Amino acid sequence: MKSARTSSQAWLAPGKKTGKRAALLSVLAGLLWIGQAGIVARALGALLQGGPVQPILAGLLFALLGAARAILNYWSETLAQTAADAVIRQARDAIVRAETGRTDDNPFGGAGAIAALAGEKLELLGPFLTRFGLARARVVVLPVTILALAFWLSWAAGVILLLAGPLIPVFMALIGLAAKEASARQMAEIGTLNDFLVERLSALVDIRLLGAGDRVMAGFAAQAGDLRARTMAVLRVAFLSSTVLELFAAIGVAMVAVFVGFSLLGALSFGTWGAPLSPEAGIFLLLLAPEFFQPLRDLAAAWHDKAAADAVLEEVAIHAADPGLSLPGQGARVPPLPGPSAVTLRGCRLPSGKTLPDITIQPGERVAVVGASGAGKTSLLRLVAGLTVLDQGEVHVAGQPLSDANADAWRARLGWMPQAPHFLTGSLRANLTLGRQGDLAHALGVAAATDVAQTLPRGLNTRLGETGGGLSGGEARRMTLARAILSSPDLILADEPTADLDPATAKLVTAGLLSEAARGATLIVATHDPELVAQLDRVIDLAAAG
Amino acid sequence: MKHLWPILEHIWRDQRSALMRGAALMAVVLAMGAALLGLSGWFITAAAVAGLAGTGAMFDVFRPSALVRFLALGRAAARYGERLLTHDATLRALESLRLRVLAAYLASPHDRMLRVRGAQALSRLTADIDALDGLSLRLALPVLAGGVVLALALAAQWALTGPVLAMWIIGGYFLGALWVARRAARRMVPLSRRTEMAAQAFRARLIDMIRARNDLAIYGQLEVQRKAVQVAEDRRFALRNALNRAERQVGLMLALLATLVSAGTLALGLAAAQAGRLAPALGAMAFFAALALAEVVAPLRRALSDFGRMVDAARRVGRNLSSPPTIADGAPEGAVELVAQGLDLTRPGGQIPIIAGLSFALHPGETVALTGPSGSGKSTLLLAFAGLHKPVAGQILLGGVSIVKWPETALRSVLTLLPQRSALMAGTVAEALALSGTDSESDLWTALRAVQLEGVITAKGGLSARIGSRGAGLSGGEARRLALARALLRRPQVLLLDEPTEGLDDHTAPAVLAGIRSYLPQAAILIAAHRPAEINFADRIIGLK
Repeated sequence: MKSARTSSQAWLAPGKKTGKRAALLSVLAGLLWIGQAGIVARALGALLQGGPVQPILAGLLFALLGAARAILNYWSETLAQTAADAVIRQARDAIVRAETGRTDDNPFGGAGAIAALAGEKLELLGPFLTRFGLARARVVVLPVTILALAFWLSWAAGVILLLAGPLIPVFMALIGLAAKEASARQMAEIGTLNDFLVERLSALVDIRLLGAGDRVMAGFAAQAGDLRARTMAVLRVAFLSSTVLELFAAIGVAMVAVFVGFSLLGALSFGTWGAPLSPEAGIFLLLLAPEFFQPLRDLAAAWHDKAAADAVLEEVAIHAADPGLSLPGQGARVPPLPGPSAVTLRGCRLPSGKTLPDITIQPGERVAVVGASGAGKTSLLRLVAGLTVLDQGEVHVAGQPLSDANADAWRARLGWMPQAPHFLTGSLRANLTLGRQGDLAHALGVAAATDVAQTLPRGLNTRLGETGGGLSGGEARRMTLARAILSSPDLILADEPTADLDPATAKLVTAGLLSEAARGATLIVATHDPELVAQLDRVIDLAAAG
Repeated sequence: MKHLWPILEHIWRDQRSALMRGAALMAVVLAMGAALLGLSGWFITAAAVAGLAGTGAMFDVFRPSALVRFLALGRAAARYGERLLTHDATLRALESLRLRVLAAYLASPHDRMLRVRGAQALSRLTADIDALDGLSLRLALPVLAGGVVLALALAAQWALTGPVLAMWIIGGYFLGALWVARRAARRMVPLSRRTEMAAQAFRARLIDMIRARNDLAIYGQLEVQRKAVQVAEDRRFALRNALNRAERQVGLMLALLATLVSAGTLALGLAAAQAGRLAPALGAMAFFAALALAEVVAPLRRALSDFGRMVDAARRVGRNLSSPPTIADGAPEGAVELVAQGLDLTRPGGQIPIIAGLSFALHPGETVALTGPSGSGKSTLLLAFAGLHKPVAGQILLGGVSIVKWPETALRSVLTLLPQRSALMAGTVAEALALSGTDSESDLWTALRAVQLEGVITAKGGLSARIGSRGAGLSGGEARRLALARALLRRPQVLLLDEPTEGLDDHTAPAVLAGIRSYLPQAAILIAAHRPAEINFADRIIGLK
């Protein structure tokens, strides 16, 4: 618990200093109201007692102080926003950097969850950092100041406010309870309804094909109605707590007003330090009494921002908790590593504890890597590609140990065919070239993908959606092959290039790979496919070796 | 604003009484607040006048002080009621908005159904709907209630203090708020739209970077992509900053407006009282009421800060709500036979035909396999037969009637397609199967037996076993067979199956196919076949190239 708190404090640190200045300005703005109340009280008091009154001057002074208060508040909010931005930007930057520097998936969640955290969830820190800190600072200073003023003018008015004083901790507990429930219901209520909706939207085609539209709509309406009934039951209780707070505030203000009224009438002769309460002091007290309670109410309103922010900070900490496997190199484009493209593995042990046999692969060799799933075929390919850091052992490429320093240069010589590619949002062409030069028409031809590209709605300019929309599994595989051979790589790493393909497509992909080998490229292919294995020079069986 | 109206109209039509109740109570709270402060000011000043004149004993203290207490307590109570009613109205509004979105998508063309299925499209749609949740609570109700209260205050002030102060206070707030709102809305709407676009770009680029990070690292593009993420973030940050600044400016303007109105009231009231045109207590009342009425315009800040986002969301959501029904009317009669005549098909969205001049007939009781390499159009053809994809040329006849003329309900009761990827929703096995419209337990078990799932489901705890979101808790093959059982329960005369035994082992696949046939002995079955088991099972094979 304590460590969670310190770590969330660390995330909030960048905004600390500016946040304090913002709080100071906010308190100053609050104090200005006392001056405004004084001007009004003096003018009205003078009017009643027949003294000299200058309406224009009173109005002008009131307006000047009011304008100063508005500007101070604006300034304070601007500073608070700057502080919030510093916190949000740093956390967001940390998330993006962490995701760039690792090669395995974050146990925190999928890409969508991480993007939601880095995007809209971090924004939830904004309301907390801009409202809560300011409200807390005002709570500390303003009620005490007003209480002191009230006592100075009339001990009875002070006592009325003070009676509310011991109640403040009670208020705060009530507020805490209310806010906890309120934020819980906000998550539950809208979140659940959205889950219902998302579930049904994902199944639209099925619903339509089953002729189940009316049934699903009726079910959704019933679930939503049920959810509303339950939410309202929670709200009836949650709102009660804040109503109690308001009720006490209202009673406090009304009691001050009634006390002042009776005193001025002369019906009450106690409550002051000797002289009877002047109209000026009475009006002054009436103007200040609501402001005694206002900071408390502001804090109550900002409380659920805090609950939301705490939840977000917790998620940020979870995301940062596992740094994962760091990526050797930067993943930047650099000139290729010179030297023959031989690969040697010696005494390699993976972070998972798995060991790999010692392997040497000469330039131009065509090697099949086989073994049951889980034997480490993909790990071997990732190791050669410099995507995995070893626990033990060494990988030599082009005659030197593969390291952080030369990983980018080594990767510039590779062609990579993953099993399940993710296409980027953008055109097919951009996905194939990935910023590289090369003969795209030739690459598509070798990969037997020319006609696939042609039948797409806008050819190579077709935009690929989130999962490579518009391409079937076999087509996506051929595109991945075309992408791999675009830059005439010296070594092609292919992970199950023919899995789940129909025989005709599997033949096309195999032929594409072999024609690259004929050009002189080394092939390392992890596969189950006996037909593909039969066409390669050498088989490394990881099960047998391991 | 023109984008928001249709959505407001929908909500208004569905939830009129809840909204009226909420607005009414909101107005009551605001009015009581102004009355409370105004009355207190009057009471104290009048008491002071009476006290100074020595006529304190004649002054009726009890009615005003009772009224002060009533207003104070009543306001807190009304506020409680207001919170409940407006939240009830909001919940109802967001419920009906979601229902309308769902209804509109259920009636939309197939490609749009597919488009909304993606994670990003879904998250965007739900974010848009969430943005619209505040439409009634933060925008419509406060504006409505505020207008009512200002009108009431105008009448009360006019009666008590005369036209000058009444016009100054209410006119000032009304015109000032109008000016602030117009000015802010004009700036914030385009800014919100661009901010949202930048946020989407950031999101998409970050997701791309995470999902494709290994590929990007190998092709030396990781740094480039990271910079692209950073660029999107910087743009979003700059826009978001401008938006926040605009919101703070609205706050500043409204605070200045309240100060100006109150200060003016103070000066006017003092001057009038000094000249003897107005009782001092009424002048004080006007000033205190002016202070309290700032509460009427204060919600504008929050409303305006969300306004741009709401308009942007309404633009997209509203477009999706206004989808025309896609199915024409016509009456089906006679035995059904599926016939394709000279069919030309493109991929969805494509121009070049992948199937040209295809003609064949599918008779009741026969099983036909469609074969061909991936990309040869098997799935597209099944979608066309199910009325989800329009042919470029030729026609599809079902029972002698063109498929486009079949009413949706009749078509679905006669023909069922098991698509390549089917979705299971969270719930029990029984609920998943009941989507077919059948919920008799013995029927469900019969269908489960036909697809070789009886043992699996029994082991999981029977029909009440729970399935997670998107079929979680079932293996790929089990989910496939559950979807198949659901299709069988429709008892269609024409059953279209897209790779029905995908993910099943060589032993289970033939058993499942045999189960399908014995469950529906008379049905015409067309299979987009992928593996030998499916091809061997067919009576006839149609090869696509």
